[in-house]
Amino acid sequence: MRKKRWLWIWALLIAGPALGQQDRFRKSPPVPDPLPALVLPEIERTELINGLTVAVVSRPGQPFISLDLVIRAGESQSPETLPGLASFTAEMLSRGTALVSAAEFEERIDGIGGEFRTTVTPDFSRLSLRFLDDSLDRAIETLSQMVLQPDFSEREIVALKRTLFYDLKQKQKDPEFVGRRQLLRVLFKSHPYGRSFFNEEVFKNLTRKDVQAFYELYYRPNNALLALSGNVDLATAVRRVGRYLSPWARKEIEWPSAPSPRVNSEDRVCFVNFPEAQEATLVIGNVVFPFPESDYFPLAALIQVLGGTPFSRLFMNLREAKEYAYSAFSKLELFQNCACYTITAAVVPSAAGASIREIRREIDRLTREKVGNFELEQAKSYLIGNFPIRISPLDQLNRYVSELLAFSWGESRWNRFGDNVILVDSEQLLGAAQKHLLPKPVVVIVGDMSLLFDSLQDIDRLEVYDLKGNLLYTMSKGVEE
Amino acid sequence: MLLLFAGWGSAAFQEQPALPFSWQHFTLKNGLEVVLSDDRTLPLVSVVLAYQAGPLQEQPGKTGLALLLENMMFMGSLNVGPMQHISYISRIGGELNATTTEDIVYFFQTVPSNHLALVLWLESDRMKALEIDAAKVERAKQSQLDEIARRKATEPYLDSELAFDRVLYPDFAHGHGILGREEDVRRLDVEDVRSFYAAHYVPNNAALIIVGNIDVARTRELVEKYFETIAPGRKPPLFLPPRPLEKKEIIQSFADGRVPSPAFHLGFRIAPPFSRDHYALVILDYLLFKGKSARLSRKLVRKEGLALYLSGGVEKRKDVAVLKLFAMNNNETMVELCQKSIISEFNKLRAGDVSPGDLARAKSLFKRDFLNRLATPAERAMLLAEMTFSPVGLDGLASELYRHMRITPFEIRTVVERYLGPESSVILNVKRK
Repeated sequence: MRKKRWLWIWALLIAGPALGQQDRFRKSPPVPDPLPALVLPEIERTELINGLTVAVVSRPGQPFISLDLVIRAGESQSPETLPGLASFTAEMLSRGTALVSAAEFEERIDGIGGEFRTTVTPDFSRLSLRFLDDSLDRAIETLSQMVLQPDFSEREIVALKRTLFYDLKQKQKDPEFVGRRQLLRVLFKSHPYGRSFFNEEVFKNLTRKDVQAFYELYYRPNNALLALSGNVDLATAVRRVGRYLSPWARKEIEWPSAPSPRVNSEDRVCFVNFPEAQEATLVIGNVVFPFPESDYFPLAALIQVLGGTPFSRLFMNLREAKEYAYSAFSKLELFQNCACYTITAAVVPSAAGASIREIRREIDRLTREKVGNFELEQAKSYLIGNFPIRISPLDQLNRYVSELLAFSWGESRWNRFGDNVILVDSEQLLGAAQKHLLPKPVVVIVGDMSLLFDSLQDIDRLEVYDLKGNLLYTMSKGVEE
Repeated sequence: MLLLFAGWGSAAFQEQPALPFSWQHFTLKNGLEVVLSDDRTLPLVSVVLAYQAGPLQEQPGKTGLALLLENMMFMGSLNVGPMQHISYISRIGGELNATTTEDIVYFFQTVPSNHLALVLWLESDRMKALEIDAAKVERAKQSQLDEIARRKATEPYLDSELAFDRVLYPDFAHGHGILGREEDVRRLDVEDVRSFYAAHYVPNNAALIIVGNIDVARTRELVEKYFETIAPGRKPPLFLPPRPLEKKEIIQSFADGRVPSPAFHLGFRIAPPFSRDHYALVILDYLLFKGKSARLSRKLVRKEGLALYLSGGVEKRKDVAVLKLFAMNNNETMVELCQKSIISEFNKLRAGDVSPGDLARAKSLFKRDFLNRLATPAERAMLLAEMTFSPVGLDGLASELYRHMRITPFEIRTVVERYLGPESSVILNVKRK
């Protein structure tokens, strides 16, 4: 008891000032220290005799090594009649060789404390492997077997078809996935990028011959880039990579000229029915083309102002002011020859029409009015501050490095990232908005038609699609045409 | 500093290595535990403020309070308006979040390192003077009730899981969920929230961890400035030791009209965290459930096709641990066959069927996950917070990896024999109504 009383007397003594008046420093946020310099390690690289580019970001303090093998062929290289072929081929590589089964590959990867995954974008196919730093040799050996000796066995092809079918079915339960896919299908309808946004049926008709042909054509060292980050240096990496990947034979690839992507300029509103969805999901966006490097930083800041955080314009308007939305954000997606800005909002179904109007109004406002200094500085502060956080995990660092090299972004998006953001001014933002945001964006609504019907009545022309991307019918002012 | 991890990734691990990074640990006069760790890799800093204020500290009839308070910590304090905490952090490019485990609530943020003082200002303000009023409590309750409804709608096995936990952890403190019971959450009032905050959100029940690009001396000054004048609270109440589970096989059924297919939960009460046997049980968990080559997943889902889905592993609730398994099956016959197949797998393990290759793989996966928790300032700060409150303390961290890596096939066999027998098992068969 005695002990307790002393405790309270002491507590009162140290908390005394707080009971009457609080310390002055508590009343307002502290002034930040000067911005620390961002010094990133050098990206060292070399090219092997067979044309394979090897790049290393040495991080001696890390217990892991992250590896990304990027093949410069993605879904836009799948034949027009065989969308999904690039994704299927990439997945098949870890499904065994004549001597190593798929199960053995899994055991080897687990044995090096590894994590393996494949990602296929419109531009690239990527094999990513992260493993314990003492396992470099085994990791490269395993990767080389996957890449140089894939078996493409009929048994594994059948199994993978089933897996990918159900994976895609599962993804389609997410209205945001459905909305983004529909938006990009519309935007890239007559462009090879459009092949990337396929449905679950596409794998059915793929054959071993198709997979083999895609592999033979594009999986070549002179069409690839191997990036490694972690506890490794370039000399060691080159030695190990050379040992296992030097038999990989180069072959020149003839690239057909790719058509330019088209920027949408028409009023287009698309709808995908999603029965029992309690919210309406809006995905709105357009292609940014041409997209010179000089436009990157102004456009990144612009998209940040529009909807980069919960305190950007879209969120503050749609959620905080109008209470239409649960969330509203914007982002910039980068491709080899263009970019896409997308806005995603989850809104109350009855407010879908009004939300679309508000989003259009916010886009329009950016093309007419200069962004104020305070808002611009906040957007820049976010971009500068978030960059090192984004690349803090080793696998994210390595993915960024591999994209930087594959897209040929250069030093401006590495050590000079912050400097370039600082240079952006409101004139450049207005210029970027007038150049890239003036063309009318495509609007996609995903939701339950029975809940949304009333709020869609004002739309002049509504294109109604199924999940596969087929146009079912159009509606004019709520009446089926 | 860049060489800190050298040797930690290397294979042998025959001897216990020194920790690959250093820290400074001190306690403020008001009882706040503080850990500072310098890492100059990038110009950023991660701050974790952890309170021993999870559902284990809730009273019967007041479930859901810990999670409610986690959310209320973002609704404003004396000098920081509602949601302004998020705003301040987002605007400088920082990332933040909070999470509630059974015994600890963690608030964490990573920001450019020149904004460290801002985070300390924000955290100290809500530790010192959170503004709790009836309107905010009602908003937080509604949000939590919405979350309960959403989870129930999207997770058809949630009710069976909660029912299973009540059998596996027969005492109230360990046996109830984080979300809370709907009827309890509805009844919570402003006084409940204020008294939970006053009892648990006090410096002498918290740990502040700062990892990143910091000057340790200056950071210590900042910590003292913002936190030392916060009054300590009463000594947090001691935990009651959990009621031991009876040594007998428990088999129960749970009927639910919403489940898409029959399933079952299987669990064993095992040795408590940080005990000698626990380390072998964790490696056994990796052997059975983790990675693509995990024995049980491969056997039941892919080889024998007895389960549509399978998950499992060791679960810790402060001083109690269990090994849990959940399997979804096509029909009741498959449920039965699946359970038999699991028993046969355990029998094989009991007979010593663990090859050196299997064990090495399990250890590599454990090592990966352990080192992952040290790989970024944010992850490292979370682990240091967890260790601060653990019975072995921060000093125990150095030997954690080593203790797992030295597990032998004999020890695996021993723990299977000791803990995974039918007399220690709880089975809840989930049937469609």
